[in-house]
Amino acid sequence: MKLEMGVDIGGLALKNPVMTASGTFGYGEEYSDYLDLNRLGAIVVKGLSLEPREGNPPPRIIETASGMLNAVGLQNVGVRAFIDDKLPWLRRIDSAIIVNIFGETIEDYVKVAKILNDAVGVAALEVNISCPNVKRGGVTFGSDPGLAGEVTRAVKDVSRLPVIVKLTPNVTDITEIAKSVEDAGADALSLINTLTGMSVDIEKKVPHLENVTGGLSGPAIKPVALRMVWEVVNAVSIPVIGVGGIMNARDALEFLIVGAKAVQVGTANFLNPGVTVDIIDDIKRYMSEKGIGDINDLIGTLKI
Amino acid sequence: MVLKVSASFRESLPGQFVMVRIKNSDDPFLSRPFSIYSVHSRGGDTFVEILYKVVGKGTEAFSRLRAGAVLNMLGPLGRGFDVPSTCKKIVLIAGGVGMAPLSFLAERCGKETDGAEINCYMGAGSLEALVGLDRIEEVCSVVKISTDDGSRGHHGPVTELFGRDIDLHADNDSRIYSCGPNPMLRSLHELLKDRRVVCQVSLEERMACGIGACLGCVVKTKSDGLVRVCKEGPVFDIDSVDFSEDNG
Repeated sequence: MKLEMGVDIGGLALKNPVMTASGTFGYGEEYSDYLDLNRLGAIVVKGLSLEPREGNPPPRIIETASGMLNAVGLQNVGVRAFIDDKLPWLRRIDSAIIVNIFGETIEDYVKVAKILNDAVGVAALEVNISCPNVKRGGVTFGSDPGLAGEVTRAVKDVSRLPVIVKLTPNVTDITEIAKSVEDAGADALSLINTLTGMSVDIEKKVPHLENVTGGLSGPAIKPVALRMVWEVVNAVSIPVIGVGGIMNARDALEFLIVGAKAVQVGTANFLNPGVTVDIIDDIKRYMSEKGIGDINDLIGTLKI
Repeated sequence: MVLKVSASFRESLPGQFVMVRIKNSDDPFLSRPFSIYSVHSRGGDTFVEILYKVVGKGTEAFSRLRAGAVLNMLGPLGRGFDVPSTCKKIVLIAGGVGMAPLSFLAERCGKETDGAEINCYMGAGSLEALVGLDRIEEVCSVVKISTDDGSRGHHGPVTELFGRDIDLHADNDSRIYSCGPNPMLRSLHELLKDRRVVCQVSLEERMACGIGACLGCVVKTKSDGLVRVCKEGPVFDIDSVDFSEDNG
């Protein structure tokens, strides 16, 4: 049976709905020994800022029940070094390259987006709005509907690329943020980013992470992510990309069934660097078994 | 723990490590990094040996495994020790299971480095924790032992024991290799800081991926800022590591 796996994410055509999640796949090259990168729907690279960032001091990670906390602190090479040193290699890969960007001010986001307009080989931007706005007393862009809309509009105004906005789950009502971002012109949404968490060493009575708190990822957050994706799918009309604790095809299928048009695989890459290809193959197997010829006929088929 | 692996592991270098997890189990969630203790072939099969001490959830789960259990293993990973083809003297300074990569190194040097004299300083908590002593005694000219409780050899840290002999070893003809807990490496760094001697250390850090992507295992260096233990290491020149603070 010939299977149609292609999906369209706000004008961005992907060969299949499986992408890597930003911050878990480096700049792609790190994984090239472990899988055929050409098989991926998209590669979302590690978040980039205007200037390079060293990130937080160690310890940066700690294992938790069914997951892990990280406080890497957005370490990255900076957008210019990415274009000069990482992108030429990535360009050879026949998968969509999505560049995740972040900033501490709206001007930062705009500058990074502008620089990427001239970069050949970038298919879309993913805007991480889970960062504190240093000009507004550190309030997270993504937790304030007004600010989230403002940064989205600013990036949309200058970028020639499809703009995906990545939402934080650390809010009271994620649909409110989603609607505001949609109204501001976002082409698609991805959710969820990590949930803020904490872990304590009871012998030393200190936090396990130098940064005190960190972002929780892994299967522990999957039910929360799935619920939020479902809520957002019902609240907006732009495509939604499901992210959060996807470890295998079963998990990915749950997100597709609730209405995500694509999925991102994150922490699972750390455990098995070839997991994304297994997920693609197993989704195909499921479709064959169920007689589903086109992945789009599966998306949003949840019965309630 | 001895694991039957693919033939590609024959390329493993002393100081390189593997990421190990129990197949089809999400508890413990993350893979665990271990230095390679030895690689050997028998009847066309390749085996990797790792040395571990039960310190937490991961190692406890490994200790409950029975013969025939299946694990997922990634490797060999990271940068190993630089092994000179000619060298007069090799000095190993091991703390506890830090013996593992040094034993692998000694075995290789015994085979490949022409006529080098291998000296080993081995420290552990107690006599029982001196794992791998027999093996290291076979390949080394001299093995000196220290234990924290005095149950065997020098009563005190292994760096103290080495410190007494430092004038014998810290010179241009020697290469020093070390692996052990961070406080031990920090003491060694202190001992060697004004000496002109090549010393490489293998660092241990919590890791999620082992392949350079998660950025969880960084360590502070003097000139390159924070670098990944899994990719730029785990072996570093002792002079390049910033031991000024706790460093995890």
